[in-house]
Amino acid sequence: MFTVPILGGIPVTDSVVVSWFIVAILGLLFWIGGRRLKNIPGGLQNVLEIVLDFIDSFVTDVTGPRGEAIVPYVGTISLYLIVANIIGAFGISPPTRDVNIAASLAVLTMLFVIYSSIKARGFKGWLKSFTEPLSIMVPFKIMDLFTRPLSLAVRLFGNVMAGFIIMELVKGFVPMIVPSFLSLYFDFFDGVIQAVVFSLLTVMYVNEGIEKAES
Amino acid sequence: MSVAMAAAIAALSVIGAGLGIGYATSKAVEAVARQPEASNKITTIFLLGAALSEATAIYGLLVAILIIFFVK
Repeated sequence: MFTVPILGGIPVTDSVVVSWFIVAILGLLFWIGGRRLKNIPGGLQNVLEIVLDFIDSFVTDVTGPRGEAIVPYVGTISLYLIVANIIGAFGISPPTRDVNIAASLAVLTMLFVIYSSIKARGFKGWLKSFTEPLSIMVPFKIMDLFTRPLSLAVRLFGNVMAGFIIMELVKGFVPMIVPSFLSLYFDFFDGVIQAVVFSLLTVMYVNEGIEKAES
Repeated sequence: MSVAMAAAIAALSVIGAGLGIGYATSKAVEAVARQPEASNKITTIFLLGAALSEATAIYGLLVAILIIFFVK
């Protein structure tokens, strides 16, 4: 626990401080990379453009060209999640291990899904989407609003937590050599997979919300 | 003792997730062998399905952890 020394001290948990750290690093990296833009990119600008192109094609492969509007949100979420999951390999407790961070990301995603659905179809169209394809689906669609963020949050939190617990157990039994190989799987591979899955599900939920607008 | 038994039973849910992911992987391999040019789309769908079936194992783990920490 840290304390912010204003207004008589505001207590702040470790995971929030690590999150600030991640945001600062990512912000600084992209600020330095985008400071002097050139037509023929070189160095850091080139690397960042490859990253952005990858996220762009990741989104538009699923949604088609109308998905351009959600690229900023998905890019932010996926970059933050990748760094947050991998940071466990450097001895810092990953912030997604805290169920509050995972749950707030999931709720944010669900709010974004509702917002983009209302933006694409209008408020009445959004309400009408609950009765599609049959009006008997209404209770299930309303339940979806709560089960989706729940499963998103629990999946992210459970995976990171399970990896963290297994790594701690292995470090207790065999403190040498073996943990470094297992860390490749539990920190790097699993962390990236979970970030990809979270952003892929976000894209698919948004896509489902805005898809039926045309028909 | 009974708490450990309960946690162990809750962790049995990994059986279903293991079978599910194994089945999904075998079908994905089959699909790529038939149509190698569609491997990008298959990978996306496979990842999604694997994540969804893996979620059941995670729920079991979560229940096991909750039992250990909160049941006296």
